[in-house]
Amino acid sequence: MTLLLKQLFAFLKLLNSDTGTNQLATGLSLGLVLGFSPFLSLQTFLILILCFFFRVQLGAAFLSAFFFKFVAFLFDPITDSLGRAVLENAGLRPLFVSLYNMPLVPLTRFNNSIIMGSGLVGLILALPMFFIFKNLIVKYRLHILERIKGTKWWKAMQATSLFKWYNTYDKLYGA
Amino acid sequence: MSDTTSNNSNSDKANSASTKSTEKNSSETISTKSKLKKSTKNKGPVRTEAVIPFLIVAILTYGYFAFFFDMNLRSALEFIGYEVIGAEVDIAKIETSFLHGSFRMQGVEITNPDKPNMDMVKIGDIRFALLWDGLLRARFVVDEMAVEKIEISVPRTHAGKVKPPPPPPAPLKPGEQSALEKEALKAGKQAMDVTKNKFQGNVLGDIAAVLGGGAGANSGDDQLKNIEQNLPSKQKLDAFSKELTEKQKKWEEKLKTLPQSKEIEALGQRISTVKTNNFKSPQEVVESLQKISEILKEADSKYKTVSSVATELNSDINSANSQFKEINELVNKDIANLQSHFHIPNIDGKSLSASILQQYLAPYLAKVNHYKSLANKYVPPNMMKKGEKEPDVSMKPHPRAKGVTYEFGRQNSYPLFWIKKISVSSKAVPSNKMLGDLSGQITDVTSNQLLTGHPTVGTLQGNFPGMNVSGVKGRFSFDNRHVDAVTDFDFSVDSYPIDGRDVMNSPDAKIAFKTATGTLKTHGDLTGLTQIDFSLSNQVSKIDYDISAPNALLNDILKNVFAGIPVVDIQAKGKGDLPDVALDVNSNIGPELQKGFEKQISHKIEEAKAKLQAAINQAIGGERSKVEAQLSQAKGQVDGQVKKIEEALNTQKAKAEKQSSQAQKGSQGDVQKKLDDLKKSLGF
Repeated sequence: MTLLLKQLFAFLKLLNSDTGTNQLATGLSLGLVLGFSPFLSLQTFLILILCFFFRVQLGAAFLSAFFFKFVAFLFDPITDSLGRAVLENAGLRPLFVSLYNMPLVPLTRFNNSIIMGSGLVGLILALPMFFIFKNLIVKYRLHILERIKGTKWWKAMQATSLFKWYNTYDKLYGA
Repeated sequence: MSDTTSNNSNSDKANSASTKSTEKNSSETISTKSKLKKSTKNKGPVRTEAVIPFLIVAILTYGYFAFFFDMNLRSALEFIGYEVIGAEVDIAKIETSFLHGSFRMQGVEITNPDKPNMDMVKIGDIRFALLWDGLLRARFVVDEMAVEKIEISVPRTHAGKVKPPPPPPAPLKPGEQSALEKEALKAGKQAMDVTKNKFQGNVLGDIAAVLGGGAGANSGDDQLKNIEQNLPSKQKLDAFSKELTEKQKKWEEKLKTLPQSKEIEALGQRISTVKTNNFKSPQEVVESLQKISEILKEADSKYKTVSSVATELNSDINSANSQFKEINELVNKDIANLQSHFHIPNIDGKSLSASILQQYLAPYLAKVNHYKSLANKYVPPNMMKKGEKEPDVSMKPHPRAKGVTYEFGRQNSYPLFWIKKISVSSKAVPSNKMLGDLSGQITDVTSNQLLTGHPTVGTLQGNFPGMNVSGVKGRFSFDNRHVDAVTDFDFSVDSYPIDGRDVMNSPDAKIAFKTATGTLKTHGDLTGLTQIDFSLSNQVSKIDYDISAPNALLNDILKNVFAGIPVVDIQAKGKGDLPDVALDVNSNIGPELQKGFEKQISHKIEEAKAKLQAAINQAIGGERSKVEAQLSQAKGQVDGQVKKIEEALNTQKAKAEKQSSQAQKGSQGDVQKKLDDLKKSLGF
């Protein structure tokens, strides 16, 4: 839990800094794929490994996964129909028969209609969403963050010794 | 002044303090800068610092599975077993291996909740290994599962803990049962009802009554008179008689519409007036032929009318005849019903066997139905009802709460779940009579037989020396590869002891095997878990009978008859949709009893039957003969009249045809004569 909270704070800090746009956008879009994938599946495991070993913002990934899990749940009826249409497609059947009988591939549980449908949605959206997230982060920093920084409330906050102390602490010991 | 001094000293203090703080700040700034320099160092895309935590987690996981998992799994299984069974479950050892995908459980003891000092079942060893080849494909494939050293009712080293009984549920209202109980009881009751209906009545009781002279048609003359009036055959005959009288009227009216003899004679007269020779001109010939043709057409149309009426009347008469036959069948049925009403037994071997053995066989059928109703409830619906299409190997959808999971199999690929072989074995121990030398195996237990291409087959053979049971052989196969799942089974026991088994136990007679030795063979198949077809052969030998009957004469007959039956042979066959299975039972008991009873009571029974026949004849005999006469008269009338008209018409038709040919010949003769005259006049 502490680790998770730490990651979430790190996400907020990075979001409000001037760096790490790609890390954040990657984390958010990988989180989207995670959200659209079932918890116990090969693809979830692979994405988690990816997030863990590459410098992807974990907080962003977890937050995004949490949010898109709900979105995926709401879209279940649609993804179910999409999955059925794909899985029942006679032309694709030889491919699915081969994939189903290959090692490891069945661990993705692609043969379930909802998993197939939501997996497709997640994969298709991942790349465009990366650029959209990147754009949104830049715009957020430019318009919203700068406006907040310009408010009297924020300036007063910066002047407090608590803020100064936290700032120094964060610079010294923060992640 | 003092204030100024103090102010200065204060300001000095402040200055020195500020100097100190500035120094401190500057030193902090230096260290911060150095740290910031460190932290702002560019980092690559790979999170190298994650390797150590990952390794720690991996080592901890490995450590847990290597040292603690088996222990925790054992505790969990013991706890679940206790909760489910309601008695202590002990597991001596569990060994799992992630690398080999193996599982081994040794010393499983399940306490008998009713006798905590005894184990209900004790299994020495259960072991299996999942194939990695299958696991990588998300399938659970076991090459061989062994279940060894099965012992039943074994004493425990210490008394097992028994779960306290749950608080009693809210009392059910009278007649209220759980849905499952209701279903199972209903199926069992249905089977019992079928058997009871088939062998309704107690044949030995009836025989005892006849032997005592207190039953049969003799004892119910008044009743018989009352019944005569309400006989279904009599009621039907009365109704039919009325119907027949009305029909007769209709038939007569129809016959009147047929061409009368005068009309037919008139046709003949018209034909005779037609000129057939001495034609003066070809026009006369044509006119004659036209007249004859018109008369013939008229005769034909009349003939068709007669034919159609004749067909109609004949079909009416035939239907009346078949109705009359039905009445005759109803009469026979009434006689049988009256025979049953007055408890007049049928002394034929087959009925005797069926009636006596109903009590012996009905519980087996009830049990089959009970399990069938449970199967209906718990067997996956896709196995019970697959639709009309043959299942496809390459795609098998499994409906789930979330989406549909498809199985894209191909012949000889791994199904989702497959235990290739389960070996079962048990060894007899002198200290426990219930233990037997058993060995068996079940092959191809799978979630999709289409992929494996094999049915599930189970075999079991062995002996129970402690119980004197030998030659136990069982085999079943379950084939779910087609629209209707087919289960076939064979079970046989070469020899088993029988102690105090009732064959029949009623207030009129008791027949039991005090001690005997039995041989059992049964074979059957079950299609779609509904249609059953089975046969059972049960031979009982070395019999010490226990026979008693309150009626002394019946008691003597039974004892004498059974003394001459050293081997009882029971053959049963059943076929039909569960639970309505038509049971056909045959045994050598029947013919032997028949012989025994025939001497004593056959004349009494025949007398009673004759009386019943006479009563029925009296009730409906007169009416039946009258109706029969009416029917034959109507048939004769219709046949005679139609035949007469048809003959007359045929005569006239023949006459017309003859006239027509004469006219043609006459015209040809006249033309020839005129041609000859012309030749002569011209000098040829």
